Amino acid sequence: MTQSPRNTSAQFVARVALMASLALIFSYIEAIIPYNPGIPGIKLGIANIVTVIALYKFGWKEAAGVSVIRIVIAGLLFNGLFGMLYSLAGAIVSLAGMICLKKTGLFSVVGVSMAAGVLHNLGQLFVAAALIEDLRIFFYFPVLLFSGIAAGILVGIASAMILRILK
Amino acid sequence: MTMKQYIRKADIILFIALVVIGLAASAALTLSRTDAGADAKVVIESGGDLYARYPLAEDRVIVVPAPKQNRADTPAADSNEPASAQYDYYNVVTISGGKVSVTEASCKNQVCVKHGEISHPGESIVCLPNRMVVRIVSGGSEEGGGYDSVTS
Repeated sequence: MTQSPRNTSAQFVARVALMASLALIFSYIEAIIPYNPGIPGIKLGIANIVTVIALYKFGWKEAAGVSVIRIVIAGLLFNGLFGMLYSLAGAIVSLAGMICLKKTGLFSVVGVSMAAGVLHNLGQLFVAAALIEDLRIFFYFPVLLFSGIAAGILVGIASAMILRILK
Repeated sequence: MTMKQYIRKADIILFIALVVIGLAASAALTLSRTDAGADAKVVIESGGDLYARYPLAEDRVIVVPAPKQNRADTPAADSNEPASAQYDYYNVVTISGGKVSVTEASCKNQVCVKHGEISHPGESIVCLPNRMVVRIVSGGSEEGGGYDSVTS
C-alpha cells in the first residue's frame, strides 16, 4: 500500500521550504522597488500571495510555516528586527483571521485576503502602540485600514488567478 | 474570466463594513481635533518617558537624543556642534510659527521627517526606530499645563 504523498513530513518540509523561498523572493522584489508612501506599514505585501496560496492549496500549517519563515528571514535580510516584530504580529493576527474566515465558507479568496490585509495592519498597529507606549498612534488607524483593504484585495485577486491556474 | 468568480456576496458585505468603520474612525478623529489654543504645548517623549515640554507658540529647535547611543560620553548641553556629530541616534524637532515638525532624524526610513508639520492638539509625529513621540496637547489638559517636570 502506497502512502499518500500529502501526509509525509518530508513532503511537508520540502513544500514549505519551497514556498518560503518563493515568498522570500517576493519580499526581496518588494524591498528593492523604490516606493515609499511616507507612512510606515503601508505596502502591497506581494509575498502574502504565497501565504494565501499555501493556505488554499495545502492548509493552515503550510501557510503558517511559509509566513513565519519568510518574515524571520526577510527581517534579518531587509527589514531589520523592528520590522520583523511588526510583521510577525501582523502575520499571526492575519493568519488567524484568514483561517477563521475560510472555515465559514462564505468568503472568496479575495474577501479572505482583504480581511487578512486589514488584520495584518491592525496587528502591527497594536505592536507599535505597545512599543511606543502611546495609544495616540491609533490616529493611523483609518489610513492603515484603507491601505489594508486595498492591498488585501490586490493580493487576493492575484492569488485567485494563480489558484485557478494551479487547479 | 469575470470578476464574479472571485467575489461573493459576503466579500462585498465585509468590504462595505470595513469601509464604513474606516470612514467613521476618520470622521471621529477629525471631529475630535480642536484648534490649538494660545497655551498649547509641545510634548516630546523619548523611550516612553517625558523628555521635554515647550509652548507651541515659541519658536525653537530641540535635539532629542534616542535612549540607545553607542558612545558613552554625553556631549555638553551648550554644544554648538550639529546633532549628527553629537549623537548616534537622535531626532531634531523644530517648532516654528505654531507648527511642529521633525526636521532631522538619524533613522534610515525618515518617516518622521516625511510626516510633515503638525499644528493641532492630539496630533503626533512618531519615530519608531528612536522610540520618540512628539505631540501637541491643549493647554487646558492635565499634561499641558501645571508642572514643569514629571516624575514616575
